Amino acid sequence: MAKTRLIQRILAALGAGIIAFILVGPIMGLKIEGYDFVANWTSPLTLAAFVCIARLVLGYVPLDRIRHSHSDTAPRQTKRSPVQVAALGVLLVVLAASLPFFASKYWISVSIIALIYVLLGLGLNIVVGLAGLLDLGFVGFYAVGAYGYALGFKYFGLGFWGALPTGALMAGLFGAILGFPVLRMHGDYLAIVTLGFGEIIRLILNNWLDVTGGPNGLDAPPPTFFGWEFKRAATQGGVPFHEVFNLDYSPQVLDSFVYLVLLAAVVITIYAVMRLRRMPVGRAWEALREDEIACRSLGLNHVTIKLSAFMMGASIGGVAGVFFAAYQGFVSPVSFSFFESALVLAIVVLGGMGSLTGVVLSALFLTMMPEFLREFADYRILVFGFAMVLIMLWKPRGLVQMRRPYFGLRGN
Amino acid sequence: MQSWLGRLALSLVLASAPYLQAAGKEIVIGVAGPHTGANAPFGLQLWKGAELAAQQINEAGGVDGRKLRLVKADDACVPAQAKSVANKLVNTDAVNAVIGHFCSSSTIPAASVYRESDVLMITPASTNPRVTEDENYKTKDCSALTDAKKKESCELGNYSPIMRMCGRDDQQGVEAAEFIATKLKAKRIAVIHDKDTYGQGLADAMRAHLKTIGLEPVLYEGLTRGEKDFNALVTKIKATKADAVYFGGLHSEAGPLLKQMREQGLKSAFISGDGIVSNDFVSAAGGEQFVSGVYMTFGADPRKFPEGKKVVETFRKTGYEPEGYTLYSYAAVQAIVAAIKGSGDDRDGHKLSKWLVENGVNTVMGQAKWNPKGDLLKSGYVMYVWDQKGKYAEVGQL
Amino acid sequence: MDFYVLGQQLVNGLVLGATYGLVAVGYTMVYGIIGMINFAHGEIYMLSAYLTAIGVSVLSYWGFGSPWALIALTLLFAMAITSLYGVVIERLAYRPLRGSNRLAPLISAIGVSLILQNYVQLSQGARNQGVPTLIDGALRFGDQEHFFQITYMQVVIIVVAFISMLGLNLIVRYTTLGRACRAVQQDREMAQILGIHADRIIAAVFAMGAAMAAVAGVLITLNYGSFDFFVGFITGIKAFTAAVLGGIGSLPGAMLGGVLLGLAESLFSGFVNSDYKDVFAFGLLVAILIFRPSGLLGKPIVEKV
Repeated sequence: MAKTRLIQRILAALGAGIIAFILVGPIMGLKIEGYDFVANWTSPLTLAAFVCIARLVLGYVPLDRIRHSHSDTAPRQTKRSPVQVAALGVLLVVLAASLPFFASKYWISVSIIALIYVLLGLGLNIVVGLAGLLDLGFVGFYAVGAYGYALGFKYFGLGFWGALPTGALMAGLFGAILGFPVLRMHGDYLAIVTLGFGEIIRLILNNWLDVTGGPNGLDAPPPTFFGWEFKRAATQGGVPFHEVFNLDYSPQVLDSFVYLVLLAAVVITIYAVMRLRRMPVGRAWEALREDEIACRSLGLNHVTIKLSAFMMGASIGGVAGVFFAAYQGFVSPVSFSFFESALVLAIVVLGGMGSLTGVVLSALFLTMMPEFLREFADYRILVFGFAMVLIMLWKPRGLVQMRRPYFGLRGN
Repeated sequence: MQSWLGRLALSLVLASAPYLQAAGKEIVIGVAGPHTGANAPFGLQLWKGAELAAQQINEAGGVDGRKLRLVKADDACVPAQAKSVANKLVNTDAVNAVIGHFCSSSTIPAASVYRESDVLMITPASTNPRVTEDENYKTKDCSALTDAKKKESCELGNYSPIMRMCGRDDQQGVEAAEFIATKLKAKRIAVIHDKDTYGQGLADAMRAHLKTIGLEPVLYEGLTRGEKDFNALVTKIKATKADAVYFGGLHSEAGPLLKQMREQGLKSAFISGDGIVSNDFVSAAGGEQFVSGVYMTFGADPRKFPEGKKVVETFRKTGYEPEGYTLYSYAAVQAIVAAIKGSGDDRDGHKLSKWLVENGVNTVMGQAKWNPKGDLLKSGYVMYVWDQKGKYAEVGQL
Repeated sequence: MDFYVLGQQLVNGLVLGATYGLVAVGYTMVYGIIGMINFAHGEIYMLSAYLTAIGVSVLSYWGFGSPWALIALTLLFAMAITSLYGVVIERLAYRPLRGSNRLAPLISAIGVSLILQNYVQLSQGARNQGVPTLIDGALRFGDQEHFFQITYMQVVIIVVAFISMLGLNLIVRYTTLGRACRAVQQDREMAQILGIHADRIIAAVFAMGAAMAAVAGVLITLNYGSFDFFVGFITGIKAFTAAVLGGIGSLPGAMLGGVLLGLAESLFSGFVNSDYKDVFAFGLLVAILIFRPSGLLGKPIVEKV
């Protein structure tokens, strides 16, 4: 009995190896050179042998049990003492806020990008995670925010602080305009229409050369703070920060400043979303996600509820866009490709849809990981792709299970 | 007692650290460009040129005993990535100078990072005028300053740390426009571009100069990078009865466009810029029969300069043909090394730039001289033509 | 409006549309049977472009001179390998996720598409590759001055696309496999109860979809002669649009959607502005979905309560 099973396993392993060889043989083994080819079979053979061995070893690992040990149960309800939550939150924020004082400029810039994705993840989480509307064009609102700032600066002299509310408002407005006709659609159709809208926004930015500068992009000024500028020389009519305080100029100050403002925006957003989830509108989003017909028969106006989720998410995306433009110093359409939408969606899904902690963690994970993988240089996107697939296989519901707030009865 | 000794030792170490670093430390040069992505062949050209230059300089003893070390930085010709790799080069790798980037659309945002950090950047290939003409950094008038120190630093600031080893698109477009109008005697000219900074800049320069000689393009239109089907556009060109088509863009789009033109029976002359200088242009166009007769502007072939003869031979010995920008990149390394040797400073981009502007450098491509903006004083653009074997040669030298 | 220019633009659009249609089939079949948007499908198309170049150069190295033999054998070679890819990807990345969270396979597919792109880039290099032109010449209509034409390669594309679509339709309609496919599509559980091995049927659907993408990939690559590791993305999105336009889940719809999209693009860029042709294509998509959410030939979804 044991023997036949061993033979079976070996046969399966050999089969896997052969299949692997057929798959990667031509692509890896025959390299195209002009109209000719160069054959080199070592790498496909190595890979096939590796697959063969891996299959044999994996045969002894109870994969199914690992995968299903985290069963897909309903969201847990938790109750933590508000004091504990607040203390933990304050501690984390203080830790994060102290980063610019010891980290190098490189890590500050990586953290800024990570925080921008946290914001994007939080925005999309409202739409996808809470309201259950699959949005594949979220990057469109990000673009609206970023270009809103750059264009506003170019044509109306809009500054960073003015751009934050304007960007949020404009993105929200776009959300409403785009959302209104499409929100009566369901599931995947909604996804496709939003994908279409996202692409249209990017294509218009790419092609309207006279206004948006096309693929060359537009300059966006760095933020100022009550007339202090963080550049070497003032360009926006303010005073350079380092001259006010008689310091040596350091380009790090600007990034640290952006980082701190961004951190504040993230904290405010997290707090706002936490409150929203406890409010009637937040509960309505989740109810609508679970059963639309039941909600409608209870008298909830599904259009306004969906629209509010859509607009709320879009505004957060717009704010993220303003930060992105201010940090990069310029915007161009390539930053708003469909891949970005997919990445933000991956953040929300990997984090565990609806879970705030999950979204924050997975945004940090997904944006920091490629930086840590820089050692792998050329292989890093490959590793990144594998990580995405493997995490999904391992935990299809995301890394962190969503928790629902609940209100305990007194004395419970 | 012990603590006192310890403190003394510590302060000694600390005090001597900068000197130790300055003497023994290697010189780090970033090579930034599209090392991946559709334009990777150009990234390879930059890398190969810089690699050989660094190797030969190191074998000859380095720069005053200090070795050169190259750092590869990949922007994939994506502007957002360019800025992030520029930051990384400056802050993490602490480079002394940068060679690159390749695509003008990447070079412009990256240049702002180098400017902010006073790092010398020499691009071997970015020909867009905006690279050296940044609106935020105009030349300042320093004559009014009385304080000698301030005046000196002000004047130093006018030497731009952003320089190039190549010509500018406005020169290139003019050359091509003259050629089309006088040599080809074309009257109906269609101008196509890929909407990118480089391609559109080229097309704009072409259109502007055509206007000055009294010609108006019959068609001025953009195509999208990354696409392969331009049949609809080709039909449109055909309908305008253009007798010359000028394309501002890179070989990955020029190839299919050209092939589809010829397949639709459009025989008009095809002229482009230095974005198609790669043997991959032939395979992108579907074979030698299609590229035959294509004109392009490019700097006078550096492989033919007497100064570069030895280097070209060394390249060929390793089995690599130093095509396109390879020698430009080699020359850029030579310029950086000469500036570090000559000025005695190894980090301040303004000082290095000042030295280069004042002294000029003898490179594999002959003597290079710059103006304080960082543009080469002379840029000899020459018209090339592709032949039926898929090779190119200067017009009139076939 | 010049008649010949219009004729030429119609030919351009038809050829482009036929290839969109072939890729769209893969999206539509997979969506029909497991309700999943297979984002990695465009990369299968990209793989087949590389397999074309490899096939052509290896076959000519072995001494095959006739272009027709080259095309036919390359087609078979690319179809065989890509269908295996389709099956293996489904088995490893999608099947374990069946029945779980609806978005999980989507994310997994995005991951697969990243993997495939970078795997090809790493093994074949990032540079733009090409294949030699195998068939020259064209059918011309009109006189020397004014004409529109269809190259022989374009004729091959339209004919092969038509034959493969017809073949696929016949398979789905009349064979046991096709019946089983439709059964699984309508009600997977019931089909399983009746003894249909649903997993195998789904694998077969992935194989067929991938083979169709390979047909498109080989033909387009031979026609345009140039490709890189990024071609899958643009073609994938366009084909996906075509599938939705025709009504996702419907085979003739995919072909119709493809041809309409191709025509719309080429007419718009020919007579209006080529810059905004994609905006027009996506605008069309959005408009159709708003006014006819199930596409042109799709069945409207009836909501079950």
